[in-house]
Amino acid sequence: MKVRFRVNRREAAVEVDPGARLLDVLRNDLHLTGTKEGCGEGECGACTILLNGRPVNSCLVLAPQADGCEITTIEGIADGPHLHPIQEAFVEEGGVQCGFCTPGFVMSAYALLRANRSPTDDEILAALEGNLCRCTGYAKILAAVRRAAARLALKPDSEHTPEAE
Amino acid sequence: MDYLRVTSEVELAAALREDGAVFLAGGTDLLVKMRAGALRPRLLVDAARVDSLRQLSDRPDGLWIGSGARLEDVLASDAVRRDYPLLAAVLHSLGSVQIRNRATLGGNLANASPAADGVLALIAYDGKVALATQTGERTLDVSEFVRGPRRTALAAGEYIRSIWLPAPRSDWVPFFHKVGRRQALTIAIASVGGLLAERDGVIVDVRVVAGSVAPAPLRLHPVEDLVVGRPVDRTLLATASEAARKAVAPIDDVRASAPYRRDVIGDLVARFLRQASGHTAGGASP
Ligand SMILES: Cc1cc2nc3c(=O)[nH]c(=O)nc-3n(C[C@H](O)[C@H](O)[C@H](O)COP(=O)(O)OP(=O)(O)OC[C@H]3O[C@@H](n4cnc5c(N)ncnc54)[C@H](O)[C@@H]3O)c2cc1C
Ligand code: FES
Ligand code: FES
Repeated sequence: MKVRFRVNRREAAVEVDPGARLLDVLRNDLHLTGTKEGCGEGECGACTILLNGRPVNSCLVLAPQADGCEITTIEGIADGPHLHPIQEAFVEEGGVQCGFCTPGFVMSAYALLRANRSPTDDEILAALEGNLCRCTGYAKILAAVRRAAARLALKPDSEHTPEAE
Repeated sequence: MDYLRVTSEVELAAALREDGAVFLAGGTDLLVKMRAGALRPRLLVDAARVDSLRQLSDRPDGLWIGSGARLEDVLASDAVRRDYPLLAAVLHSLGSVQIRNRATLGGNLANASPAADGVLALIAYDGKVALATQTGERTLDVSEFVRGPRRTALAAGEYIRSIWLPAPRSDWVPFFHKVGRRQALTIAIASVGGLLAERDGVIVDVRVVAGSVAPAPLRLHPVEDLVVGRPVDRTLLATASEAARKAVAPIDDVRASAPYRRDVIGDLVARFLRQASGHTAGGASP
């Protein structure tokens, strides 16, 4: 069957099997391989994307369920060659080791900071509860999100500001 | 496998009459089962865009929650935050943001897991479910709807339309605690949710529900009967925990043993009575 959605602000139309997971369609048909598969059952968050502006596990969404929706993946948040401030903050704070979990964490942080410009640590941790990291021990990820929040708060009107849906 | 998206309850009810049709809500249970090969539907009927199933309606006689409302939307509703804090606490601990952006109460009910956290809260508030088919609607208590692991009162072609929670007492004090292996994304090893109302140091009304220790979330009537009309003191805490241990019927599984679950429930019930009554003299927290 044919499904159509907007991925990272571009229209996409793909012929899929009705049982195809959105994760696989993004990676294999649209070659957006930044979105990762860890567990494949909703536990690790490596496959996190935004569906109509909300973070979801793309391993638990069938492609037909996303028909007509707006999708944002990790490839859609940088501004051309310039990393998004959240991505910069992960680099600067050393919030990345093997990097497998990073796209998912960045997308969860992106969704958080779009809704809440000055989150408390508890709010950051709650927003990241669906993402697992086996390497960093989380402290540097928390620091990265704090840093990104501070930076985004300083430039309210820049093109890097998480836009409203 | 075929996939059909419906956008009205008329279409939904017709589609569910097809042989091998399976209702698809958020898919957070269904897709995990399909991936594991435990379920091979012939036809998935995607009801996520049936607007009438996604509404919440706060009325004088209580709150109506559409079976297909996303848990994050249920959590964000003023009525839930203000009047049903136990439901809010329970949903807050269910899965993760990503899961709650997809998952629904209809799915939590129909999936009928003994560990279903949402179901536990609905039972505590004396909730009812409205079930619909092409020809009509019937209403059941939530506690009658869930029969055991993966067993519900749903008939062929029937679906959950909405959940009704009666207007709660204004003086209910909520309690929810789930014991799992970690904080986020945890399937409960054992859990207790409760509501307690006290006057002049005496319990005047109480609801206690335990999760993961019986075929379905279980209202602990023996505990309720024992504590109503009595002040919370050490003796009451001890007898209530003993009654709770006896009332449940846990099993051994990969997550925990039956005796351990029984002990945890006893401790959680004592903790509930102590915390919700503001009682401090009952000894150290478990
Ligand atoms: C990582 C992870 C963590 C989880 N954590 C928790 C947790 O902490 N606590 C907890 O309780 N659960 C948890 N769950 C389980 C699941 O998210 C919930 O049970 C959720 O509420 C299911 O809702 P859904 O809309 O996704 O259901 P679906 O998967 O769409 O459906 C589940 C079942 O219900 C049927 N169904 C759905 N809606 C209806 C309806 N309206 N009428 C008739 N039948 C219907 C479907 O046919 C299917 O059989 C977790 C799941 C995952 C993957
Ligand atoms: S791959 Fe989707 S949550 Fe792990
Ligand atoms: S950096 Fe390796 S899993 Fe997070």
